[in-house]
Amino acid sequence: MVYEASIFDNLTQFFMFTGFANVTLGHIVMILIGLVFIYLAITKDWEPMLLIPIGFGILIGNIPLFPGLNVGVYEQGSVLNIFYQGVSQGWYPPLIFLGIGAMTDFSALISNPKLMLIGAAAQFGIFGAYTLALALGFSPAEAGAIGIIGGADGPTAIFLSGRLAPDMMGAIAVSAYSYMALVPVIQPPIMRLLTTEKERVIKMKPPRAVSPTEKRLFPIVGFLLTAFIVPSGIPLLGMLFFGNLIKESGVTKRLATTASGPLIDVMSILIGITVGASTQADKFLQWSSVKIFILGAFSFVIATLTGVLFVKFFNLFLKEGNKINPLIGNAGVSAVPDAARVSNNVGLEYDKRNYLLMHAMGPNVAGVIGSAVAAGILLAFLA
Amino acid sequence: MKKFYTLILLLGVVCASNLYAQNMSDMRLNEVLVTNTEGFEDDYGYRSGWIELFNTSYGTVDIAGCYLSTDPNNLTMYMIPKGDVLTKVQPRQHILFWADGIANRGTFHLGFTLDGAKEVIFTAADGRTVIDRVEFPALEPNKSYGRKMDGEGSAAEVGVFYTSYRNSLKDAEAKADKSTKFGWINMDNPTPSTNNATLVGESKSAMMAKNDPYGIFMTVTAMGVTFLVLAILYIVFKQVGKFHIKKKSENATKAVAGIAQSGKADTSGQVSAETYAAISMAIHLFMQDNETHDFEDTVLTINKVSRTYSPWSSKIYTLRETPQLKK
Repeated sequence: MVYEASIFDNLTQFFMFTGFANVTLGHIVMILIGLVFIYLAITKDWEPMLLIPIGFGILIGNIPLFPGLNVGVYEQGSVLNIFYQGVSQGWYPPLIFLGIGAMTDFSALISNPKLMLIGAAAQFGIFGAYTLALALGFSPAEAGAIGIIGGADGPTAIFLSGRLAPDMMGAIAVSAYSYMALVPVIQPPIMRLLTTEKERVIKMKPPRAVSPTEKRLFPIVGFLLTAFIVPSGIPLLGMLFFGNLIKESGVTKRLATTASGPLIDVMSILIGITVGASTQADKFLQWSSVKIFILGAFSFVIATLTGVLFVKFFNLFLKEGNKINPLIGNAGVSAVPDAARVSNNVGLEYDKRNYLLMHAMGPNVAGVIGSAVAAGILLAFLA
Repeated sequence: MKKFYTLILLLGVVCASNLYAQNMSDMRLNEVLVTNTEGFEDDYGYRSGWIELFNTSYGTVDIAGCYLSTDPNNLTMYMIPKGDVLTKVQPRQHILFWADGIANRGTFHLGFTLDGAKEVIFTAADGRTVIDRVEFPALEPNKSYGRKMDGEGSAAEVGVFYTSYRNSLKDAEAKADKSTKFGWINMDNPTPSTNNATLVGESKSAMMAKNDPYGIFMTVTAMGVTFLVLAILYIVFKQVGKFHIKKKSENATKAVAGIAQSGKADTSGQVSAETYAAISMAIHLFMQDNETHDFEDTVLTINKVSRTYSPWSSKIYTLRETPQLKK
């Protein structure tokens, strides 16, 4: 009888350690959200490289825990907490930028540098959301972190929100990646609404061949110019341009291969899983998260809108034959290369021979630089 | 070649010494108290005058090997001992030296006192380069002479590594109140090992909320800067592109001229077969819509190849030989 009682006590005690004893409605909701992410990634192919790690991270972060086991992402010294340092201290995003730099071909931008201005115009999405977030009662630091969703750049959003509003980072990152996955849904209606039939079929001059010297100069000059003006953006801009230099230099192929392959993959896995795990129910399921999602959608809309309208405005000053197809204005938001693909696909709907992909890549990569610059400015003003 | 390597080596040495010096030059004398009868006590429970240093940088600075002195003719009166981890001063932090004249009490006990002293000099590890120096007026007991704000104000009178900084401060000093040394004040309430002035500052975010509640100025400023950055890049690379195109056309002209001069040009009026092939290919691609795409559909089809017989799948080769009893 004594043994039976002891076993029963042990089992009862063990049960108290299990997730079943500690589960709340919040945990279940978050687990469902994680499952939806995984479902969308697998069946709809929406940003699977990001949504699968984030979705599974949500599952990891929302297993109900008995406090004190030192396994949770917010418990000092736990394995997940050590992984999470890369997010909270902001060193995953610059390493991802290194990989992005090593993968990006800036030729389209170098051959037609005026497209850079579209990348600047689309950053209105960030500041449109910033002003609206202020109006909704967020502090300037929080508003800045939310606004950066409009940059459509996950690593930048994580980098900035980790500094300005760490408590909101999970919601901001999930929102940014979700809307990036939804770029093909959000942008086309706005593009059609703001352009005429005639504008949509504008044929742009084919980009000229860019010499290797120009390609090598771009990351060096680009970094020096941008970093001198916005030193607070050095972690992102420095890594982006450095990554591009190792690609274009032609003598560091191994480094470029590592940065654009294994390194960025490792970082994507770590950032995805830890950001997902940081969205614990008690931190994520709040009204502020709902507001963040609404503001995120708003920022994407504003960014697309200003990008397209800026091209139309810019065309007023360009000679016939040099005009830009406004359908590439949406690509000013980063979301590389999805936004450029959207430009191309919408363009092909109206002219089957008008391939806009290469042209759209110009503002698209300019958007990456623009959003990193904008993040640097917000950091300087608000951190 | 030898000269080149020597030059590189020299450059390396100069850079390394500068790097070292820049670390040291971040240190400032911050506060001095000459007579201490009722203030802060040392670890032994004794009161004595003290000198406070402040690390103005955002990195740790090791001051081991540096010197403190009250005599401009003897800059090496007290060498800060090496090998003590406590000589590594954390970013934006203070370090206090007791001027009790008993150096064997530990790293932070100087071998001299401040009695009768008129100045304190902090010298780099080379024993010659003065990093900071302050002359102080006659001080009442338990009153100190310190910087209004930690690390800010007059720099060293002598110092080889940051002349421009010192000059800029001198300009400011010239405009400042002459009765006191710029940035330094008599302090009725000494603040050993702590901030000379307590900042009750608001965060940047709170200040922004007060100054720009609607975010208008932030938006205009940030968008202006973003446009500026990308506009400069645009202008620079437009010029680079123009230069490149010009150079390319010049090279092409030179090449044509070279061919014409050497008489190798095709003057017969016949076009080469390669040119015809290129034109034909271009027309072919243009005429056939399906061929003018610029990306592949990336669908890879793998057909199953059925082989009725293969040694790999043969049962004969996978079975062991039937054991036979040898007679």
